[in-house]
Amino acid sequence: MSNHLLFENIDEPGLNTLDVYRARGGYAMAEQALAMARDSIITALKDSGLRGRGGAGFPTGLKASFIPQGKMDKYLVCNADESEPGTFKDRELIQKNPHSLIEGMIIAAYAVGANKSFIFIRGEYQQQAEILEAAIAEAKEAGLLGPNVLGRGVELDMWVHRGAGAYICGEETGLLDALEGRRGNPRLKPPFPANQGLYQGPTLLNNVETLTAITYILKVGAEAYSAMGVEKSSGTKLISVSGNVKRPGNYEIELGMTGRDIIYGLAGGIEDDREVLLWFPGGSSSPVLTKDDLDTPYDYDSLAGAGTMLGSGAIIVADDRNSVVDIAVKTASFYKHESCGKCTPCREGTSWTTKLLKRIQSGEATPMDLDVIDSVCDQIQGNCLCVLGDAMAMPVSSMVRKFRPQFEAHIESARIANEQRLLAELDEQEPVLQGIGAL
Amino acid sequence: MPRPEIETINFTVDGREVEAPAGTLLADAAKLADVDIPVFCYEPKLGAPVGACRMCLVEVEGIPKLQTACSTPVRDGMVVNTETPRVKAAQESVVEFLLLNHPLDCPVCDKGGECPLQDISFGWGRGASRFAEPKRHFQKPVELSPLIAIDRERCILCYRCVRFSQEVSEDYQLVLHDRGADTFVGTFDGHPYVAPFSGNIMELCPVGALTSQAYRFRARPWDVEQSGSVCTLCPGQCNVSYTVRDDRVVRVLSRENQDVDDGWLCDRGRFAYQSTYADERLRTPLVRQDGELVPVSYDAALRRASEILVNAEQRVGALVGGSTSNEEGWLLRRLMTEAIGSRDFDSRPAGAVSAGLQAALDAPEAQATVEDLEWAHAVLVLDTEPVDDMPVLDLRLRKGIRRHGVRLAVATSRPSALDPNAEISVRFAPGAGEAFVCALDAAIGGVGDVGGLSRAAGADPQAVEALGRMLREAGEDVVVLWGERLTHAADPARSANAARALLKASGRLGLLDGRKGSGLLQVPTVSNARGLRELGVLPNVGPGYSEPAAVGRSSREIAAAAAAGEIAALHLLHVDPVASFDDRALWSRALGRASGVIAHAAFLTEGVREHADVIFPAEASAEKEGTVTHPDGRLQRLRPAVGKPAGALPGWQVLAQLFTALGGRSTALTAMMVTTELAEAVPFYAGITHDEIGGLGVRWQDRDAAAAFPAGDSGPFSLEAPAEAVSPNGALRLGSFRSVWASPEVAHAPALKFLAPKQRAELNPEDAAERGIRHGQRVRVSVSGAAATPSTVEATAHLRSTSPRGSVFLETGLGAQSATALTPDETTVPAMVTVESA
Repeated sequence: MSNHLLFENIDEPGLNTLDVYRARGGYAMAEQALAMARDSIITALKDSGLRGRGGAGFPTGLKASFIPQGKMDKYLVCNADESEPGTFKDRELIQKNPHSLIEGMIIAAYAVGANKSFIFIRGEYQQQAEILEAAIAEAKEAGLLGPNVLGRGVELDMWVHRGAGAYICGEETGLLDALEGRRGNPRLKPPFPANQGLYQGPTLLNNVETLTAITYILKVGAEAYSAMGVEKSSGTKLISVSGNVKRPGNYEIELGMTGRDIIYGLAGGIEDDREVLLWFPGGSSSPVLTKDDLDTPYDYDSLAGAGTMLGSGAIIVADDRNSVVDIAVKTASFYKHESCGKCTPCREGTSWTTKLLKRIQSGEATPMDLDVIDSVCDQIQGNCLCVLGDAMAMPVSSMVRKFRPQFEAHIESARIANEQRLLAELDEQEPVLQGIGAL
Repeated sequence: MPRPEIETINFTVDGREVEAPAGTLLADAAKLADVDIPVFCYEPKLGAPVGACRMCLVEVEGIPKLQTACSTPVRDGMVVNTETPRVKAAQESVVEFLLLNHPLDCPVCDKGGECPLQDISFGWGRGASRFAEPKRHFQKPVELSPLIAIDRERCILCYRCVRFSQEVSEDYQLVLHDRGADTFVGTFDGHPYVAPFSGNIMELCPVGALTSQAYRFRARPWDVEQSGSVCTLCPGQCNVSYTVRDDRVVRVLSRENQDVDDGWLCDRGRFAYQSTYADERLRTPLVRQDGELVPVSYDAALRRASEILVNAEQRVGALVGGSTSNEEGWLLRRLMTEAIGSRDFDSRPAGAVSAGLQAALDAPEAQATVEDLEWAHAVLVLDTEPVDDMPVLDLRLRKGIRRHGVRLAVATSRPSALDPNAEISVRFAPGAGEAFVCALDAAIGGVGDVGGLSRAAGADPQAVEALGRMLREAGEDVVVLWGERLTHAADPARSANAARALLKASGRLGLLDGRKGSGLLQVPTVSNARGLRELGVLPNVGPGYSEPAAVGRSSREIAAAAAAGEIAALHLLHVDPVASFDDRALWSRALGRASGVIAHAAFLTEGVREHADVIFPAEASAEKEGTVTHPDGRLQRLRPAVGKPAGALPGWQVLAQLFTALGGRSTALTAMMVTTELAEAVPFYAGITHDEIGGLGVRWQDRDAAAAFPAGDSGPFSLEAPAEAVSPNGALRLGSFRSVWASPEVAHAPALKFLAPKQRAELNPEDAAERGIRHGQRVRVSVSGAAATPSTVEATAHLRSTSPRGSVFLETGLGAQSATALTPDETTVPAMVTVESA
């Protein structure tokens, strides 16, 4: 079997239209699912071993089983607020194959008994949102959505909601607040969205890739899907490779492939055949790995074992022309800018770390400041309301720990450079009148 | 929703095993074991915790991550540690983070000395910071409103003020701007934060970011003392704590009493203390000599007052105002009945309800408490606007709806601030309360002519039907919060009919059966109305709702009698009928005609200034001693926080001396002795003492003596046909309301002056369009028809799309420009007026 599922026909022209999608067997799975018992779909999801593709890697079947049974207003929300730096897989899925997402959502909504569904898409994805809206309109027209889905008496309505440009709205509870029309701030958990989510109702919240994968799990069968990949990380994963590689882009891989095979195989190696300085295995919030970690298998547990995480599956490669200090400043600045400000450690910690790193960058620091950064990151981790604080603390502290000599060398060289610049500036100045001799 | 039953569980905190009610949040439950968990954002009054500040992180065994104690409910067998190195490290981190951008300007900060941030930094902080970067800077301090200054550098972004605005007072004005470390608190559009309850955010603020403009730099915590009392500006009778420096009140804080105010104050209660020190306040007795009011000694004033009373030969009428304490009311009653021999005294501005009906309305079985409002299945707000008439209840109602799913119905003439929260809002014609209650009774009972009665009330019959259905089906616990003005019709028969209809409708809902959690709760027109009623400071009711030997004249009858010369002298105890009662012109005539007018007043309001012959200075709220009775029957104690102006006598003593001067036998040497006296006279107050009332008050219904409550009129009640609201027919129905800001205390408090209302005419835009009136334009409101003495009021047109068609609403309490200045020739319900461009 080819290891391509989600990307099977991805480049087929017109796949975003219902006709072409149907011609490729589209919506057959939705039809099949609606004939199944709701439980058996959730069982299939559990058996497939699918884990959430948004970042946290929580088992999808288990999450769906948390939604209470019974008649009440339940919601399905698709998180398409793909904002993690380096991640662009959902964008391609939505742009080229929107119907597979809609089909996955029909199946998921049916499985948990939700009859209202929302796709929260990041505001910058304008073209994708329009494609998605067109696809939903087509699906409604064809009776695939609406009061009587596929003539089976199931009701499902679907809306696309565009975000207004905040990274934090990718956090599930922040997304729910924003969707309800409030300031996008994460909520306290518990209660979890499965019990009290959107408008206080039980809510199933999944990433675009996760929901799309559901269609394909039904297509190949849970058993065949779980046979792909490695134990506890089954199936395929879309990865977005970017940075100093020869062939950046989205790839669908079977989990368990090594980092080296991805970077040097699929992505064609490093530009100008230079060395890897560091790589983020799962978006900018994952602790960085070095060239020594290239042979780590790319799956949830192996990466966790290496002290990092698979995250959103975005591999960012930096070669040895880059300065780790600059990367750290850039990373920290991003999270400082995106912190919502609700909880103290994240609000103050990201801002403090950024200020410290900028001072290091400009050569006005001492190596002791590195200890402060490390300690501040430590104080953030695990103490925040949501994971945004950790998302800065983890990569930054991993850089400071793994590249301490480089940081110290930068501090020293920048300090000397500053000193020389200052002396040179003094030299350039016109001699100042001084003392009686100048008269 | 009835109050949930709560069982007790055991849990362990820092090795101490304690019992706690299940579901209590850890931050509160730990206190039961004398363990203090520091918090900033957590404040139970604000509702569900948000877990934002992260100060309360603790270790719960079995959970890998540290948990926020503010949001974790205790469970049986839970083991919690708050002192492990891990928790300590987290606490120190949060303190360090919070202080990064804090200016640490404690020496010049008003909060210094009473600042949670200071206390927690000392108690749980590391004592040193490693922060060497530049701090966040804002322009400071800036005016958040004329009452509140905001220093954004001191702010630790705990969200309390914003949550108050969004989730408690629901004025939705405060928001957080920007995000991350740049977040700051402000109003959405930069307008000042002006709202009836805005001052509460200063008390909520755990740092010195929100400070009172009136209190800023006036004192440090170690200069002041706190002194508890009760605010008597409105029937809400919120418990307050006066901050006193050098025998002067410099600030008012809330003194939380769950059963009364829930820990909130309105801005009037918070800032009106300033009027105590206004130059205009009367400090010595005044006597009119050759047309001029001149200061005299108490002896001279008392002599003159007794002359007036003696000369009047029993033809004395007395009016008693809302801020009158039970003791003053009681002594005035004795003065009138025993020394003067007149029964012409009243504490109601209008209307009269018989002792039997009054007892039925106030019976312990029919009484709902303030707390019931928050746990009822449904609440009906009937002919009252809580935010103006009893402000603190507005917050209680919102709380019940938001947190306990109370279903709210509003039935008023003027659009209510609670309409957006109500399931059903019904409008009826101004003054047609009687007809409306009759219609409601028919709708609840499913009998009678709902349609006809609704039309008589100027209400939509379908809406009345729907309201009846909702109340009938909502559940057992229904509370009717009704405005006393329902029984203020000029014709006593109409008032009585309204009271009977209310009782009948309540009976149908089972509100009179003594079930806890349901019943009637009155919003009186004046603050101590209930206490004065129970003491028998009414012409037709004796102490303890007994039937009096003889019935005297009611307020309105006193006015007519005085204007006709039948009453020679008027005694005004803390009330100026010209300024605050209906029918201004009649009262002016009455006071003008009287040969002698004795007044107790704090300010020279118009009627007092023009007509009083003897004026005794009234004590300010903070100077007063005595008791008052809350509308739900809670006796509360007024305790003097500061001394009186040099030489001034307390009000009760002036009355006692007057009583003695007229030959009465007053044995009271202290205010407490008067309390004892009145407790003996009112059977169901029996044995009550200041000690028993204590700091939080006591409801007489909860005492054994309540059994002595007399049986009231128990029905069955047959209703008369109510007065029909006449159709506007080209004119407009005149409705009136009294804003929370219309009072001499507001006008004389420098901080509040800017809120003193100016007359405005609230109109429906379509009615306005027909008359060519635009929003904000000056208009003239005149009584329809050919009036002998044409009365006109000037106002600013205020167009409200929610205002019912065919009605115009004017404020009262604004002197010559009040709605009460419009005197109709013929009595119609309601009065008809015309509105035209000025």
